[in-house]
Amino acid sequence: MLLEATNVSKAFGDFLAVAGADLNVEDGEIVGLIGPNGAGKSTFFNCLAGETTPTGGRIVFADQDLTRAPPEAHARAGIGRTYQVPTTFEDMSVLDNVMVGAFLRHPHLEDARDHARRIVDMTGLRADQRARSLGTPGRKRLEIARALATEPRLMLLDESLAGLTPTELHEAIALVRRIHEMGTTIVIVEHIMEVIMTLTKRVLVFNQGHVIASGPPEAVVKDEAVIEAYLGRRHRRQDGNG
Amino acid sequence: MRQTFGLRAIALLLAAGLLLYPVVFTDPFYRDVGVTFLLAAISASAWNIVGGYAGQVSVGHSMFFGLGAYAPLLVYNLWGWPPIAGVPFGIALAISLALVIGMPTFRLTGHYFSMATLAVAELIRIFAGTWGLVGAAIGLQGPATGRAWWDLTFRSELPYYYIFLGVLALLLATTAIIENRRFGFYLRAIKASERAARNLGVPARRIKMMALALSAAFTSVAGSLYVVKTGFIDPDSGFGILVSVQMVIVAALGGAGTLLGPLVGALILVPLQTATNTWFGGSGSGLTYILYGGIIVLIARFEPGGLSELWPRLLPRLWKRAHAA
Repeated sequence: MLLEATNVSKAFGDFLAVAGADLNVEDGEIVGLIGPNGAGKSTFFNCLAGETTPTGGRIVFADQDLTRAPPEAHARAGIGRTYQVPTTFEDMSVLDNVMVGAFLRHPHLEDARDHARRIVDMTGLRADQRARSLGTPGRKRLEIARALATEPRLMLLDESLAGLTPTELHEAIALVRRIHEMGTTIVIVEHIMEVIMTLTKRVLVFNQGHVIASGPPEAVVKDEAVIEAYLGRRHRRQDGNG
Repeated sequence: MRQTFGLRAIALLLAAGLLLYPVVFTDPFYRDVGVTFLLAAISASAWNIVGGYAGQVSVGHSMFFGLGAYAPLLVYNLWGWPPIAGVPFGIALAISLALVIGMPTFRLTGHYFSMATLAVAELIRIFAGTWGLVGAAIGLQGPATGRAWWDLTFRSELPYYYIFLGVLALLLATTAIIENRRFGFYLRAIKASERAARNLGVPARRIKMMALALSAAFTSVAGSLYVVKTGFIDPDSGFGILVSVQMVIVAALGGAGTLLGPLVGALILVPLQTATNTWFGGSGSGLTYILYGGIIVLIARFEPGGLSELWPRLLPRLWKRAHAA
């Protein structure tokens, strides 16, 4: 087992954002996390990436207990992440952004630059472009590239494919597939069901800090609890709009 | 490629200009302005390592400057050593203080570091003003006449100018090396988003501590240079708030987080300060505050990135206009 998150909880005062969530991920899997806004998915991600210390439970990655470890230790252990709202280094070029990630495994300038160039080419970005001048799709792609440069064994993608046009979406799905084929395990939070249905073989559904269902995506979308808590409401809204 | 060539050409021109300045301007007044410019450039470049590159804005760097200034005169007054022998003590004290301040404040994000630096610098200033060993409010005096060359008391400004220039060159070379190493990339990443940087494996706290220690060491050297030249230090000229604010303003005016920004800032601010002092004399001492305040407003309103961000925008326009004409 690559990642074992057991009974993970995170409370902010009296509010329980994550209430005893479990997530086990095998090496080489792509796992989807879905659920309504405010369900606790991003907080759970923050716990997995070390940005938030869980108030309960245990997180073991590649046989290392990372429950209370800082984010840089998670990165060193092999966990990379992206953010729902991209946090690129605005004044730096695309290549320099990716080099910050590359330095983790390649301390020397030339090695880091070579490694970063390979990643930039793979992700279809322009190396000399300033991060500031990129649009949202470019920033999301840059975040993926930057995390990839740390050579993670596990990538946590937090709505990295949201807000893209259909063409951009298909390119991004192809990119995630390529990353997976390189041997990277992926956990992806996404609202776009096309992404979940296309990419994942296993899905967990979050609601109010709990995992309310898990299994293959085809089965999960038919689950009554999931329809009630997440899909149903969206469908009803879509009907209402139509 | 063209940009790198342009930068190198500017750096070479600047170096040549600085080397030749006291040869061209032989009047002691102009040479003194040159020395003051170099000291401002050294202090601001030292601040720039942690304040500009790492984005950890210290508003109390006078504490390191003051330690560097007091140490040489303290070893002279206590044991009769040449003031220059106190420089390593100043550096060691500055680094120790940097670690003491950085350890608790760098655990937090936001403005805690700025607040802590401001408070500690003021505390030290007040404490130095009451401590007899360091001359209390009167301060310390260096050797009135040099006993030997190692007391570094020269009649001419020329030796000071070239000693200061050497230190500035060393500091800029160190900064240039840092810029192109992992350390420099990490500093810029921390400034842009510490959260994202840590997620990429950047040990942010350790990197910030290293930047602060290095910055403190060079600021302390700036203090030592100041005192070796003036031969006198008191709490206000060592630990005063104006000393800190000047470093911030000089760097911000030229471009914080850039190699030559502090130099450009000093090139503008020091002649401006000299002019106001010359025109208004002692009655215009409050003008310094007005000048600093005005510059802060102008930078914040029109060019938050400093003048170094203005050139890349202006030059292509000027180039186009020149070619169109």
